[in-house]
Amino acid sequence: MKRWTGILACTWLLLSGLVSAAEVKVGSITPLSGKLSVYGEGFQQAMLLALEEVNAEGGIKGSPMRIVFEDNNSAAAGSVSAIQKLITIDKLPILFGPAASSNYLAVCPIAQQNKTILIAAESAAAEISKCGSYNFRVFPSDALQGIGVAELTHALKFDQVVLTYINNDWGVGLAEIFKKKFLESGGKILDDFAHDEGKTDYRSEVLRVRKSNPKAVVNLTYIKEGATILKQAYESDVKTQWLMGSASKSPKLIELAGEAAEGVIGTYPTFSQETPQYQAFKAAWEKKYPDKKIPVFGEYNYDMVKLTAKALRLAKSMSPEDLRQAMIEAGKGYAGVTGDKTFDANGDVGAVYGRWTVKQQAIQDYK
Amino acid sequence: MDYILHVLILALIYSIFAVSLNLELGYAGLYNFGHVAFFGIGAYISALLSRAGMPVEGAMLCAMAGAGIAGGLLAVPALRVTEDYFGIATLVFAEMFRLVCLNERWLTKGPMGLPGIPRPAWIARGVDGLPVYLILTALAAAGVFLFVRRLTGSPFGRALRVIREDEHIAQAFGKNVLLLKIKTIVTGSALAGLAGTLWAHYISYISPADFTLTETILVVLCVVLGGRGTHWGPVLGAFAVIFFGEAVRFLPIPHELHRYVAPLQGMVYGGILVLIVLKMPSGMIAEHRRNGA
Amino acid sequence: MSYYLQLLLNGVIAGSVYALFAVGLTLVYGVFRFINFSHGELITWGAYLTLMFYTPPFSWPLFLSAIPAMALTAVIGFSQDFFIYRPLRRGNPITLLIASIGLSYMLRNAVRFIWGSDLRTFDFPPARGMEFGGYYVTGIQLLMLAAAVFFLAILYLGLTRTLWGKSLRATADNLELAAIMGISMPRVSASVWILASVFAAAGGILLALDTNLEPVMGATNLIKAFAAVLLGGAGNVWGALLGGLFIGIAENLGVAFFSPGYKDLVAFALIFLLLLFRPRGLFGLLTGVR
Repeated sequence: MKRWTGILACTWLLLSGLVSAAEVKVGSITPLSGKLSVYGEGFQQAMLLALEEVNAEGGIKGSPMRIVFEDNNSAAAGSVSAIQKLITIDKLPILFGPAASSNYLAVCPIAQQNKTILIAAESAAAEISKCGSYNFRVFPSDALQGIGVAELTHALKFDQVVLTYINNDWGVGLAEIFKKKFLESGGKILDDFAHDEGKTDYRSEVLRVRKSNPKAVVNLTYIKEGATILKQAYESDVKTQWLMGSASKSPKLIELAGEAAEGVIGTYPTFSQETPQYQAFKAAWEKKYPDKKIPVFGEYNYDMVKLTAKALRLAKSMSPEDLRQAMIEAGKGYAGVTGDKTFDANGDVGAVYGRWTVKQQAIQDYK
Repeated sequence: MDYILHVLILALIYSIFAVSLNLELGYAGLYNFGHVAFFGIGAYISALLSRAGMPVEGAMLCAMAGAGIAGGLLAVPALRVTEDYFGIATLVFAEMFRLVCLNERWLTKGPMGLPGIPRPAWIARGVDGLPVYLILTALAAAGVFLFVRRLTGSPFGRALRVIREDEHIAQAFGKNVLLLKIKTIVTGSALAGLAGTLWAHYISYISPADFTLTETILVVLCVVLGGRGTHWGPVLGAFAVIFFGEAVRFLPIPHELHRYVAPLQGMVYGGILVLIVLKMPSGMIAEHRRNGA
Repeated sequence: MSYYLQLLLNGVIAGSVYALFAVGLTLVYGVFRFINFSHGELITWGAYLTLMFYTPPFSWPLFLSAIPAMALTAVIGFSQDFFIYRPLRRGNPITLLIASIGLSYMLRNAVRFIWGSDLRTFDFPPARGMEFGGYYVTGIQLLMLAAAVFFLAILYLGLTRTLWGKSLRATADNLELAAIMGISMPRVSASVWILASVFAAAGGILLALDTNLEPVMGATNLIKAFAAVLLGGAGNVWGALLGGLFIGIAENLGVAFFSPGYKDLVAFALIFLLLLFRPRGLFGLLTGVR
């Protein structure tokens, strides 16, 4: 016991000694351990890339910018501990929120009450729009994607589908919006069920899909669950059109499902890869991380840091209200890698939805 | 330092949780491996009622009662089996509870969790409320601590220890063993429910992911590490475990090694549990056998 | 109708793998009278060790990789007993249970530490299942069934036809008496752990071939295996076999009737009810090892 408090005190002194007054610091709650750590590493690399560029351009009004990373164990409790530390020990006015909407929702009231700006780069739940005035997000809300999937389904002339979704905050939230929109516009849902997160055997779920004999299945799920379902459906010769969301759009899906992923069509919030911003980002990424692919949501994390740097440069002072105004100002007409980042009244951005498909074992735009 | 207040609140809530488990595990020898279910039941009842508009104090009391009743309902059938089967039955019960919370979306909002759980009206929202919340938690913890100390010092507590050592002797002395055990579980569950409500109103957001087997292992570790069947053991264990978890934040670990932190922490927790059982069965504080039975 | 039959078929295949896990768990219980929580980790380690030999730097063919993997898993199983369970055996079964929970947590995180939390596969291309009059089975599923039958048949012959099997059964019946009769305890306990580990590893490899590898794969399947053990009556090898099949079928057929979100609840609820109302198992009448 005594020894631990000792260690705690020592590291404290050590860290506070290292703090240099000249830096402009922002915090980030990142899943570096736990089940989302697979993604967390990529987010962090994208943020560090942006940070490097910000500092190469002269930092914030002459001082270098720094990101203080805090791990949240991919859990709500860990996120609360992390945000408490960032707000009260590091006293940082701008924080990058945790991935996974449930973790984000756990911390956003704390940020709001402390007048700390919280920015989301990959949390999609529609509920986040209600977090309050200090909440911003550079990633489009699920409310838009749910509608996007419903529109895709109609556009492909499927008016009767089976709906299945992953049983977590993202899947359930998205499925509810899709269902509402799809039913409103005259579609019919033949069967509708959740599937567990992280299972290895979805054969019986696949059979349940097959029982309704649908022309199309809307499958809103993650990469590994999506791949397993596709593979097992392929094995039992289910012939249907799979429609999926943005969270399954990854080369890993094809790596895991192989042939079975062929022909899947999905939506995703898109941005043009032809813009100079994207080209510059891609070149910079390949230069800094030569043997790593651009990670899921990496572009959003990159934009988030760059946009924050712009806001910090614009801000009249570091007071919460000035920073909030600066964020809104910085977003106006900001053309990032992921497109226009103008914030609406809820701190949300708009989105263009693209359609992806798997053809010849590669993800391509569906035309 | 609000962060210190935060860590203290967490440690105190875990102390209550660990003390409540110690009542069952340490004093009565009832190995409840599903104690997190009662923590969760308390959290959910309190969150649901207060979100529906009930004053937080009332919701907390209902939650304690609810957790106690749930404990009683589990205890009556589960005590029919031998102790290792009892451990498994409670563990399975906790997983069933989690699955129900995950799937009954009309009630619990499923995996979305319940956000915006209010604090008592007289505690300010945000960090301004932290000192008051700390006092509330500390009072609750002190109350629970004194209550359990008194209870275990009473004839009731002595009877429990006799049961733990040898049920037949207790029976021979004319004790109603089953009833005593049920009372213990109801009390332990209600106290775990209290810890759960304090947690829910503090964190202000709960979801089924907060009530997994990992939490069970953590609280069993608190009790076993601190010392089973002692007054201060579980409190000490809870503070040690929480501080250890938070201290990791201050270690200068390079970004690229962060992937290894959580598994290593898990290995250490598991390893400590095994080592204690092997080398230091009584934990950091040993029970004074003299004043027992 | 064919929908239900196909579900049944899936259940039988899943169940045959559960049976492989359950047999080891029940043997350990039969001889040592405690529930080995870290049995699930033997499943995971069996699969990951196979992956290790299958991928570079070794890059051995799959069947060759499985052999050292099973051997190493047996080493892990045997060392669990030697270093941890044996010193504790004189105490209360609860101490053994806590130790095994701690050990399981440690071993699972060790897998995360070494191989990461991400999903891994053996990278087999998906194949269309073979069709038999409207029912679909994949080659790997057939292999699972065949391997399960093969291992269980060997076990049956071993237990009933050899002296080794007889001494094992005698020990399971009464440890003290068997020791008095001159049965070598270290030999029996070593063979139980090796048997349990090899069966767990074999099941883990089959499961990984069929789907993926994940650090929690053992823990999730342990629950199923445990339900199977209880169904069959703890310590009863043939009971565990039938129990495994029953769980597999029950949870797969269950999908037809309620939300697949509750798939795991079938096994949990079965365990719970059986523990409380039929702790001797449903198949208590069957004679077997015990």
